[in-house]
Amino acid sequence: MEKSCSLLIHFDKRSQAMANEIKEALEGNDVEAKIDALKKAIMLLLNGESLPQLFITIVRYVLPSEDHTVQKLLLLYLEIIDKTDARGRVLPEMILICQNLRNNLQHPNEYIRGVTLRFLCRLTEPEILEPLVPSVLTNLDHRHPFIRRHALLAIAAIYRLPTGEQLLPDAPELIEKTLSSDQDLSARRNAFLMLASCAQPRAVAYLLSQADHVANWGDLLQMAALDLIRKVCRANPGEKGKHIKVIISLLSCPSEAVVYECASTLVSLSSAPTAIRAAANTYCRLLQSQSDNNVKLIVLDRLNELKTSHREIMVEMIMDVLRALSSPNLDIRRKTLDITLELITSRNIDEVVLTLKKEVVKTQSTELDKNGEYQQMLVQAIHSCAIKFPQVASTVVHLLMDFLGDSNVASAIDVVLFVREIIETNHKLRVSVITRLLDTFYQIRAARVCSCALWIIGEYCLSLSEVESGIATIKQCLGDVPFYTATEEGETADASKKLQQVNSSVTVSSRRPVVLADGTYATQSAALETALSAPTVLPGSLASPGNLRALILSGDFFVGAVIASTLTKLVLRLEEVQPSKAEANKACTDAVLIMTSMLQLGQSSFLPHPIDNDSYDRIVLCIRLLCNTGDDVRKICSQSCRQSFAAMLAEKQFQENEAIKAKAQISYAQPDDLIDFYHLKSRKGMSQLELEDEVQDDLKRATGEFMKDGDDANKLNRILQLTGFSDPVYAESFVTVHHYDIVLDVTVINRTKETLQNLCLELATMGDLKLVDRPQNYTLAPESSKQIRANIKVSSTETGVIFGNIVYETSNVHERTVVVLNDIHIDIMAYISPATCSDVTFRNMWAEFEWENKVAVNTIIQDEREFLNHIIKSTNMKCLTPLSALDGNCGFLAANLYAKSVFGEDALVNISVEKQADRKLNGYIRIRSKTQGIALSLGDKITLKQKGGSN
Amino acid sequence: MHGEEKLEAFKYTVSTLALLSAESRPVTKIFLRCAWFTMVVLAASIVTKSGKDCCLTFSFPSILIAVLVSRQFVEMSRIRIEGLLAAFPKLVGTGKQHTFVETENVRYVYQPIEALYLLLVTNKQSNILEDLDTLRLLSKLVPEYSPSLDEEGVCKMAFELIFAFDEAISLGNKENLTVAQVKQYCEMESHEERLHKLVMQNKINETKDIMKRKASEIDKSKVYFISILHDVHLDMRKLRCYLHEPLYCTLFSQIEKNRGDKGGLMALSGPRRIESSFNDMSISNSGSGFGSGSGIGLSSDVESFSIKPKGRPSASATAPSKGLGMKLGKTQKTNQFLESLKAEGEVILEDVQPNVAQSKSSLPSTDPVTLTIEERLNVVIRRDGALNNFDIQGTLSLQILNQEDGFVQLQIENQDVPGLSFKTHPNINKELFNSKHIVGLKDPNRPFPAGQNDVGLMKWRIQGMDEASLPLTVNCWPSVSGGETYVNIEYEASESFDLQNVVISIPLPALREPPSIRQIDGEWKYDSRNSTLDWSILLIDHANRSGSMEFVVPPADSSVFFPIAVRFTAASTYSDVKVANVIPLRDNAPPKYTQRIQLIADTYQVV
Repeated sequence: MEKSCSLLIHFDKRSQAMANEIKEALEGNDVEAKIDALKKAIMLLLNGESLPQLFITIVRYVLPSEDHTVQKLLLLYLEIIDKTDARGRVLPEMILICQNLRNNLQHPNEYIRGVTLRFLCRLTEPEILEPLVPSVLTNLDHRHPFIRRHALLAIAAIYRLPTGEQLLPDAPELIEKTLSSDQDLSARRNAFLMLASCAQPRAVAYLLSQADHVANWGDLLQMAALDLIRKVCRANPGEKGKHIKVIISLLSCPSEAVVYECASTLVSLSSAPTAIRAAANTYCRLLQSQSDNNVKLIVLDRLNELKTSHREIMVEMIMDVLRALSSPNLDIRRKTLDITLELITSRNIDEVVLTLKKEVVKTQSTELDKNGEYQQMLVQAIHSCAIKFPQVASTVVHLLMDFLGDSNVASAIDVVLFVREIIETNHKLRVSVITRLLDTFYQIRAARVCSCALWIIGEYCLSLSEVESGIATIKQCLGDVPFYTATEEGETADASKKLQQVNSSVTVSSRRPVVLADGTYATQSAALETALSAPTVLPGSLASPGNLRALILSGDFFVGAVIASTLTKLVLRLEEVQPSKAEANKACTDAVLIMTSMLQLGQSSFLPHPIDNDSYDRIVLCIRLLCNTGDDVRKICSQSCRQSFAAMLAEKQFQENEAIKAKAQISYAQPDDLIDFYHLKSRKGMSQLELEDEVQDDLKRATGEFMKDGDDANKLNRILQLTGFSDPVYAESFVTVHHYDIVLDVTVINRTKETLQNLCLELATMGDLKLVDRPQNYTLAPESSKQIRANIKVSSTETGVIFGNIVYETSNVHERTVVVLNDIHIDIMAYISPATCSDVTFRNMWAEFEWENKVAVNTIIQDEREFLNHIIKSTNMKCLTPLSALDGNCGFLAANLYAKSVFGEDALVNISVEKQADRKLNGYIRIRSKTQGIALSLGDKITLKQKGGSN
Repeated sequence: MHGEEKLEAFKYTVSTLALLSAESRPVTKIFLRCAWFTMVVLAASIVTKSGKDCCLTFSFPSILIAVLVSRQFVEMSRIRIEGLLAAFPKLVGTGKQHTFVETENVRYVYQPIEALYLLLVTNKQSNILEDLDTLRLLSKLVPEYSPSLDEEGVCKMAFELIFAFDEAISLGNKENLTVAQVKQYCEMESHEERLHKLVMQNKINETKDIMKRKASEIDKSKVYFISILHDVHLDMRKLRCYLHEPLYCTLFSQIEKNRGDKGGLMALSGPRRIESSFNDMSISNSGSGFGSGSGIGLSSDVESFSIKPKGRPSASATAPSKGLGMKLGKTQKTNQFLESLKAEGEVILEDVQPNVAQSKSSLPSTDPVTLTIEERLNVVIRRDGALNNFDIQGTLSLQILNQEDGFVQLQIENQDVPGLSFKTHPNINKELFNSKHIVGLKDPNRPFPAGQNDVGLMKWRIQGMDEASLPLTVNCWPSVSGGETYVNIEYEASESFDLQNVVISIPLPALREPPSIRQIDGEWKYDSRNSTLDWSILLIDHANRSGSMEFVVPPADSSVFFPIAVRFTAASTYSDVKVANVIPLRDNAPPKYTQRIQLIADTYQVV
């Protein structure tokens, strides 16, 4: 067990003082100098020096000092010095401080007494404490509450020592007496805590005897009482009944902290609906009354926990929870929406949607910074409501369609995706939605929204009138053709130059390789489009307000291709529904005209860059289709697109269901679980208590006491040999990697027949590692061994290397001998763990991160999938690309991997491999991260691992 | 191959040995010490925002955050706390409107202070509301101590900050303190210490004076005792370092002897005075703390009184079982809550009888049958002696240890007092009581309930008594004279009772020091917190039916000294109800029984 550390102070090496200077100052008479020297001594000690010679100086010259600050610093000094020798025995000189401590405990100054008592709480050596016990006890009756408080703490601390019961056999009685007679709240709390931890039955008895008055206790004591109740009930669930009354009486207490604690206690003790309801109500009340965002968020967390365990009760509370939307904080709103979305049922859906609609309307009317994001959240929330309960779709879809033309692109995209899904799943709404869409189409500005809306128009305009108005709308938005005439060239030359500049500046900024959703690189991307879609004043335009025209003229030929395919679909459908052949032909020619003019524009020098090949091909394909129609292609156009969309929705639905099923699977009982016969057991509230030991563990984990009992066999596998067997000193270590620290347990064996003196394990580190302790010198008898433990702190994920030497002296050779140790490599894999993130965040991070490490694929594995699996396995990352997207044997594979380090750093990996003609895999693995360390070390790791195919 | 195996085996044995020795360390001990309370602050720290490099001597660029000050309140290893603090800046996002971060194991609650973060590390169970309170307090404290809110300022005052943190968070638990209180605690200005120093100084001065006087007296008598002058000088030195009585006595007896020889008598008064003053000094030095206020002699009384409030909870704890109908609206709601909880299958025990504490405070009776007869007085007397209220309520309660002793009836005896009316428990046979004064159950086949609890059988009231029957009257006469108020208080007890543990508490104006008592029958104690003067008389019997006290306080309005509250007990009652006999109903011997008869002043006030 490492030594505990009670304080840290930043130590500036520049102001380092020498030990003898400190000594001089301490011996002097100047109080100020003494204080200063003492401070410096403490700093040196904290920094790992041991300063053994200073102790006697301090005993002689500092202990008698009358100055209060000196006395307090002295206590700090005593707190941090080693009070035991290497074998755990108390150093004999420590007895010297006892007298001083006793004097302090009888000091007329109450504060000196108090701080001394507090210091005693941190002592663990019964040898030092024993002579002080009587003095501590006399302080219990002191008039001043400050002293009583600390005396109680000290007694509790002493009593809790392993030998405490011998030191203070009657402590519980004494403390019980104090508890019933004392007036000071804090002192009573301390007394109660002591009883609760050392003599629980007494504490329980006191609590029960005072049950009617608990409501009038102060908040500190009430908290302690609640803590006790939780502890008692966890240990002995049968006791629960006695305490529930106390909890209920505390629920109406004025202190918010107590009320919060009450609610969580109630939840942990009972799962009876009334109790849970009371707790949930309390949480909701806190959610309303507290203005602090932290509190709100944590309360929401609690509600979220309640939601998973007691959904049916939380469903009733949904409107109360929703009220938290009034907070302007986005995080709170997001959490609130998350919780409510999982609580909607057919019964409350109307109410919820009504509230959400109101909120949406509110965002329109007020102009706030974050409203865009909030709006998007609301739209998504409504979207998922509508998916779950299709009947509400009709009430919201029209409201939402107002947002299509909104300047907030993100929420507009969400809306259009929503509309697309509704129109497919909810056939009744098709007519009204399509009419509405055609009416509002001209307002749409963003390219992505446009193309999605166009797709909807192309697919869902079915009747003659709809098809006709669809074609008309598109035409209107495109304005008159041609987009560009040669005669204009001269006139617009200047203007186009300007435009060129504008465009080039925009494109330059976004000319970075962008990963598509499937992981491939794309030169034409959504990001580019949105950048370009900023309304630019068009040169030579024919004064048309058309949004599509603006997009095309700004060079967005992807939209052009979408327009072309939409028109094709519409014309093909028109041919089916239009009785008059002439009309249909006319529409067909119009469409072809539009497409050709787009091509013409694309190939002209009017725009800074010509049309890209992909769009060109697609437009040409559309023209071909219209010109000579084969039935197969026609079918693809008019039906297959929609079918595949429906299939996609079905797949999505299926996956969600799978996820829900998987979740439900988890909570199923194991075959050998005990069966609760519900009807035979009236106390159904107790089921959860068995699991409740986590509270204790919580603190253990927090202080880092949580020792995992890894099996020893596993430990043995991680042993590293540091020196050779023939070296005079054999050393091996075993490396335990905790979260933020690495512990090296080094076993050193003297293999010679001589005594090794001043043996020292010197370690040095590379990477973000730092040694915590200073190396110490040991003496090693012939053929004996020694355990040395070294702590190393890690501050970021980066492959670190630890070097070391063992240095020693022997009696006959006076110069030091050095044995160089093997390097210890700390594996990055210990620090990263698989994580998930959404597609969009992945792409944003990919764009944002500065460090990229590109590793060429060089492997003997011949199958793409196998290679991917191998990389996933060896890097401990998670594949974000869905399995369905990796299906098939096309000889090409692209996937995104993601992981997070314990330090919160993100690691992104993209794998793109292609099977060559010679059946070898070829391609690149790109690693991106915010810091160089991760990218480099992960790259090294992959290079190392990718070769070894089979193992 | 063979050799390699051998090496491998060697390596494994070494490691297992190492493991074994590592495992045998005491782990549990440390854990026990930090698991006090499940909600604690683990550490309070100040770290720099930028995490800039401060370790110049390290050869590699360190991006470790600079921890300026950190105080841990539970035992945790250095590596752990440093790790936690180093992880913190990475977890803090920017542009968030909340100031806490949760990780798997801990929660950080922080507050930016200019270029620094003030940071509490807590466990996740910790109560966020309390932690925020604490953080708010700390954030007010930091600017109080640190001259400038940057690295330099904080480093300079690191120790002062640690002291302040210690006061604000006592070993991880929240304290309800204000900034002013913390500052006061840290300044450590103690009134008592000053007093102590003053007294010490006085003592020293006094001793010096005495020494001087002695010296001059000795000088005077030098004429007579030139022969012993040398001795005196020698002893004067000893006297200066610390006077020792026996030494002095011998010295002066020597002087006296010499004087007797020479026939001089004048210096006789000297030695006596010096002796008495030394006695004084030794007493006050042996008293544990000078400022502890209460005299040494009083401590026994204090204990005997402290028994009394202990008896109270028992009364209030049993009270709700009697009158369930009298509860207020709020409790009714609680009841509904409880009812519904019960309906849902929770076990709720109403009226939980504390078992351990109770039996501890009132002596557990060993007799099979214990009868308690108690009369409580509610008296309010006006200053002029007229009665505002005089009401006596009596109860007879029964405690039976074993079920088989429960088949009994009680023969009651009482004095005929005007205005006395009895009420029996519904289960008691009324006829039997009215005709024969026997208390027995309606159903003779049922025993009285047995167990540790008292069972109330009968109540009575006495009303319409006049002033003449008051057990004790108190007269208080405050009078202002000069710059002081003299208060004369006297009591007069009636012949009919012997009163025990009488305490007369007189409220006083807020005083800095205890009032000066001129004359007192009995003992006094000044309670500075409530600012009352408690005048206590252990027993009032025929020897001291009346008594008086006089004390002086700074000028105050006479109404300040009211209401005077009186507490006492007596061993006889007004109604003189007694159980004359316990009649067994089954044919076994009458069980052994004890009776406790007590008159208690519940409210006894002079307003």
